Parts: sequence; C-alpha cells; structure tokens
Amino acid sequence: MSLLALDNVSVSFGGVAAVRAATMRVEAGEIRGLIGPNGAGKTSLINAITGIVRPDSGSIAFAEQPITALPPDLISARGIGRTFQHVELFRDETVLDNVLTGLYSHHVYGVAAAIVGFGRARQVEADARREAAALLEAFELAPLAGAPVRDLPFGIQKRVDLARALAVRPRMLLLDEPISGMSEAEADAAVATIRALARERDITLLVVEHNMRVMMRLAARITVMHQGGIIAEGTPGEIRGNRLVVDAYLGDKDDHA
Amino acid sequence: MRLSHVLIAIAAAPAVALPLFGSSYQIYLAELILINVVAAIGLNLLTGNCGQISLCHASLMAIGAYTTALLTTRFAVTYALALPAGIVVTTLLGASLGYPARRLSGLYLALVTLGFLEVVSIVIEEFPDLTGGVRGLKLAKLEFAGWPLNAGALYYFVLGVTVLAIRAGWGLQHSRYGRAFDTVRQSVIVAQALAIPPARTKLLAFSIAAAFAGLAGGLFTAVVGFIDPTEFDISASLRQITFIAVGGLGSVWGSVVGAVVLTLLPETLRGAKEYSDVVYGVILLGALVLAPKGIVGSLALLLGRFHGGKARLP
Amino acid sequence: MTGRIALQLALSGLSVGSIYAIVALSLAIPFKASRVLNFAQGELVTLGAYIALVLTSYGLPYAVIVPATLLIAAAFGLLIERLVIRPIVDAPEFTLVIATFALGLIIRALIRIHWQDNVYFLPAPYAGAAFAIGPLRVNPSYLVIIGTTAVLVALLVLFFARTKLGKAMRAVSFNPIAARLMGIRVSTVFGSAWALSAAIGALAGLLLAPVIGINPELGHLISKALVAAVIGGFGSLGGALFGGLLLGVLETYAGAMFGAAFKEIIPFAILIAILLVRPQGLWGATHARV
Repeated sequence: MSLLALDNVSVSFGGVAAVRAATMRVEAGEIRGLIGPNGAGKTSLINAITGIVRPDSGSIAFAEQPITALPPDLISARGIGRTFQHVELFRDETVLDNVLTGLYSHHVYGVAAAIVGFGRARQVEADARREAAALLEAFELAPLAGAPVRDLPFGIQKRVDLARALAVRPRMLLLDEPISGMSEAEADAAVATIRALARERDITLLVVEHNMRVMMRLAARITVMHQGGIIAEGTPGEIRGNRLVVDAYLGDKDDHA
Repeated sequence: MRLSHVLIAIAAAPAVALPLFGSSYQIYLAELILINVVAAIGLNLLTGNCGQISLCHASLMAIGAYTTALLTTRFAVTYALALPAGIVVTTLLGASLGYPARRLSGLYLALVTLGFLEVVSIVIEEFPDLTGGVRGLKLAKLEFAGWPLNAGALYYFVLGVTVLAIRAGWGLQHSRYGRAFDTVRQSVIVAQALAIPPARTKLLAFSIAAAFAGLAGGLFTAVVGFIDPTEFDISASLRQITFIAVGGLGSVWGSVVGAVVLTLLPETLRGAKEYSDVVYGVILLGALVLAPKGIVGSLALLLGRFHGGKARLP
Repeated sequence: MTGRIALQLALSGLSVGSIYAIVALSLAIPFKASRVLNFAQGELVTLGAYIALVLTSYGLPYAVIVPATLLIAAAFGLLIERLVIRPIVDAPEFTLVIATFALGLIIRALIRIHWQDNVYFLPAPYAGAAFAIGPLRVNPSYLVIIGTTAVLVALLVLFFARTKLGKAMRAVSFNPIAARLMGIRVSTVFGSAWALSAAIGALAGLLLAPVIGINPELGHLISKALVAAVIGGFGSLGGALFGGLLLGVLETYAGAMFGAAFKEIIPFAILIAILLVRPQGLWGATHARV
C-alpha cells in the first residue's frame, strides 16, 4: 500500500480554509513534487503531515499507521523527516554538532549513563560521531565539520540541513524549498545530490518547490495545489499541459516556469 | 583540552590544600562557594542550555535544605541518608514544574515559577512547628553514618561532592541530553523534526535542576547549621541567575566561574546584604545588557575567532 | 456569615482589590506598548511612597505632595525606559524578565540602605477613624482608595479614547510597524507609557502609605498584582481592573472563612491554576480588547 496516505484532510485557521479535503497517495520510493502558487496551502499541508498543525477533519496514515493526531516528535520518530526552507540550523554550533543532534533518537543511552560519562555513554557517542562523520562525507562537508554554521554560505547550510534531516534515518523526507536561494549551478548540483540520496538510501521524497525547471527535472510525479485544494496530479509532462494548472499560475506571477 | 586540564589543576590546588593553611572562616566561605557552584550548575542546565526561565531555584534549594535538616534534627536520621532523601524530595517537587513548562514559555513560565516560589515561602512561614517559621531552623550536630562531621572532614566532603557535581553536569551537557536541551531552547519545531520530545526534555531539565538544587540545599544544611528562610527568597534566585548570566549561560565552567567570582565579590566589599544586593543587581544588569555571553562565553568567542575553531562552550 | 459581615468584607475586599487593580493597570500599560513586563513595578510603588515621605519632610502640604510625587515618579519611569529598557528591548525574553527583576532588586536595596527597615507613616488628610454608614463601619481610606481607582479608570478610558497620545499608544500596541509608518514616534510613545506607568504605580504607593505604612517591602504586592493581571489577561486594561477587584474580594473572603494561611496561598493557587488552564486570562472571553 501507499507509504503516505491523506484522506480528505482539511486545515483551517481562524475560519480561513488553508487546505480543503486533500486526498493524496505517495508511494514508497517516489520522488513526488508538491507545487502551487503562493497561498495554495502547500505549507499547511506539510505542517499537517508533520503534525505541527492538527487537521480539522480527514486522516493521515504513514506506512499504514494513522498519524493524524500524533505529536510532531512522534511522527518524526515514525520515519518522516523534513528540511526547512530557511534552514533553521543552530548558527553558533559547528556543522558536526548540528548533524549530531539529528542522531538523538538513534544513539540512545540513559541519563545515568550520561552523568557517568565513561562507559556506555562514551561508546554510544563514538558510534554517533562515526555516523555523523559518514553523513558529512556523503555531502562533502567533512572539511567543514568544525566550522560554526553562521559563517557558511547559504548553499552549504542547506546541505548541512539535509545531512541533519538524514541523520534521523527517515523513510520519507519532506523537502521544503530545497533549491531556494541557490544559484543555477548550485541548484543543478543539489538536484543530482537529492536524486542520488533518494536512490541510494531508499528514501521517499516529497518536495515543495517553486522553481519549476528544477521540479520538472526532479520529480517523477507532481501534485498541484491551488487555493487549498489539489487540482491536478501527474507526470511533469501531464502537468505542464494541464489547463487548470496553467490557469492557476497565470493568476500568480511569482513562479518561474 | 590539555591546557584546560592544567588550568583546572592549578585552580584546584589551593582548594584542596585549604584546610591546611586557611582560617575557619575561609574554609566556611569556600564551602559556601562550592554550594553555590552546585546550585548554579543545575540552574545553568535548565536555563542556559534548555532555555527555561526559573525564578524559584532558591526555593528548591530551600526544600532540599529543610528536608535534610528536618530528617537529621527531628527524626535523627543520619546525614548519609538525609542528604539523598533531600535530593529525591526536591527532584520530585521540581519535576512538577515540568508540567506547566509543556505549554508555557518565557514570561508565563517565569510567572509559574514565581508562584511556586511564593507558595514555598508561605508554606515555610505557616508551618512553624515543622519549619521553624520565620525564625529559622537550628540544626543538631551532624554525623555521617556514625562518624561526626568535623570541620576538615566536612570541607573535603563538600569539595568531593562538588567535583562530582561538576563532572555530572559536564557529562550531561556533552551528552545527547545536552544537545536535546540546546535544541529545545533554540527551536521547538526543529526539536520535533529531529524526534526530540520537547515536553519530556523540559521535564528532564527541571528535574535535573531540582536535583542539583536539592543537593546544594542539603550541603547548606551541613555547612551552615541554621536555616534562615529569608536566604531563599527571590533575591537569592536572582543571585543564582547572576552567577550563570555572568559566568556564561549553557556552560558548566561558566557556572563554576560565575559562582566563584560572584560569591567572593561581596566578601571583598564587606558590607551588609543591601550593598551586596545592589552590587549583584548592577552586575546582573550590566551582564545582560553588555555581555550577554558571560565570562566563559565571551572567552570562547574570542578564542574561537582566534583560531576559527570549535564554537561549543566547555 | 451574616449579610452585614459579608458586606463589610466586600468593602475591604474591594479596597485591597483596587490597589491590586491600580498596580495591575500600571503593569498593563508598558506591556501593551512595548511588550515588556516590568517586574520592578512594585519598587516603583514603593518609590512613590518614599518620594511622598521625603516631600512631607520638607513641610509641603498634601495637595502639593500628590502631584509632585506623580511627576517625579513619571520622570523616574522615563529614565528607566531610556537607560535600562531601550538598550535591551529586542533581547530574548530571558534578558527582559531578569533585567527588570534586577532593577527592582537594586531599587529596593538602595531604599533599604538609606531608610533601613523602619516603617514610616504618611499623614494623609483623609485618614482617620472609621465611621458608620448604616450597619457598616467604613474606614475613610478605603473609600478614598476605591474612589480614586474609579476616577483613575475613567481618566484612563478618556485618555486612550480621546487624546492624541492615548490613541498613539493604542496604535503602537496594536501594530508598532504600522504605527511608525503612520508617523507616530514610537520612542516617544514608549517613554510616555513607562512614565505614565510609574506615575500610576506611585499613586498606588500614595494610597497604600497611610493604610499600611511605608517600608521597603511595599513592592511585594507586585506578586498579587501579577496574579490580578494574569486573571484578567495580560495587557488588557479592563482585565487588570476585573482581575484586581476579583482577587481582592476572593482573598478577603478566603481569609475570613478559612484563616490566614489560606488567604496567603489562595492568590498563588489561582495564579498557577489559570496559567495551566487558561493563560490568556478570564476577561478576554467577553471582551475583544480594551
């Protein structure tokens, strides 16, 4: 069955409907795009999936388990990770420490062990550091391991954010505007990286992105939202020719197609 | 970290040798400093690392002090048992603050802790048969599992416990829990995205802070021999906050430096409590406005800039 | 409890509640304007009382002392806003909370250094023996407190509704960016809000002084005022009044019915309960904003 299943999900804030009766299925192994003009409800949909907002109605299931009313940290623990549009890294901490934070749930030891320090805690910490180092290697961040994030260019910060999200070992990753703020060369490199990681690590991706060019190359299937509802779903070719999609975007000039 | 090991050894040497050449007042003062260090470490983990404002840390210390005092004085329990009992009681009560911390933050949480402080003060006052009320509680001579605690033994006991507390605080700060604390402080949403449970993390932080406060309170009982409830009022809580704000938020060594420097400072001023309050207030205000990173934090920043290296506080 | 006692308690409850309301109002004004909760407000109440004391020692008549105290206190409020609050207004909440606490500590300690813990009395022309109105014994100070609060509230309503500065304050509290764009000098508004708040605090000090005497711990009632503000909802003027009066009455009845210890604890029990259950306060339910 589908990895992620949304059924009639509605989200509203103070009487305004942000998402209206959204139904969608994301299959395991997919790279799915989520697009739509500003205000279409993409962020609210993502927030509903990650548990930050609670849908007014409808249900969300992940790996066939309902996750609709779960707190966000439990949903993350179930295997849904995410990156952030504005990166949200800890600026005063090093690249390594940021990525290490993502390994919280996978390298576990108790408070007593932490207080004692040597023994179990030290062993588990060493394992965690090894895994973090491997992640940095995979993203070509190893030489920057000890650098504080605040000094790094935005494109590199995005890679750190991605590495950190992967540290959670998600089955599905929600990428929130992964290409925004990048130059064209950086964007192309990022697309290659993202596709490679999806393939190599067997992670399903749901990508929210405004950059049409990138989206068309990255996603196998695309879901289009407009004014809170899902108006189309299909391959990039199908979406490009879809009247409804074109009309929705003609009303909004922010996106580059 | 080898240089810092040397520095620690240099700083620790007089501390270890003190009973040999120091006056009994100096030993007493050193014990008070050590007690403040213990309390500050707990508060720093809660406020500096986990970002939760607590105005009632002094009340938690009072709970530890009174529990240990009552067990030894009223119920003739040996200090060896009364001290851990005090820690347990304080930890349980302090953990209760984790509940409002689930939904409240910043200002509102500060108000809850203020309410807690007031309630503890009132309970102390209104049950004088138990607590001695406003007149305080005088303590019996303490013995540790049969051995009387004389001046030298007590000092080394307090010193040893403090060293263990520093080690424990350091261990926690550099563990996954320290990272969880820092994450929750900076962004609850990021914490949730990384499968770090914010509510449980805050609860842990409050519990740990309470445990350190309870320990500090229990040590206070042994060192001071008389509990004056006005020692644990809001200005006492503020003094502890000054320790960590000036020493360095989020750093165990910041707690140590802050507590040592700011406990010694009023001694050099040699004045009444009011003068020390003014000095504390001014230093705190100055630190908040001018040096938000504290002594240790500012040093770390300077050193970091110097060789572009690690940004994590020791 | 007889009707007469109930009325008697209500009167004293309203009187103490009025003081809470005044202090809660003085907290609400800078909170609405600059989103800073001034934990030193209690010390501004105390300061007001001591300023009046000093002026009394110069032999000035009461009619001069009152406005002079308010003006001097307002100047203090302005000074605090410029020197302490302005530099840290963008800092994280921890800094703001602790900074105002530190300020309060400094003021209280300075007062103690100069005047020690002695209790001084402020002679007020209206203070006197209780007299009878019907079955009740009425302390004239209570009447003055309640009456002054009523007048203060009326003046504040007029101030915020009709005067340019008052309307500017409301605009800034609603949306500081838009207010700035409309040409309102936000720094002037902030300064005025703190000056006004200090003056109102000093007024509470003036009213309290003849009743319980002037001592450095007067500011402790800020804890109760905070409870009142939480009951009513932070930043709401109507809430401050509602919360203060309700707290005063509840506290007084609780004390009469269950004893002194209960009376002490009940405000903080209410504080914690409301923060757990409905942190935005009770008043906000019926009124959108005041």
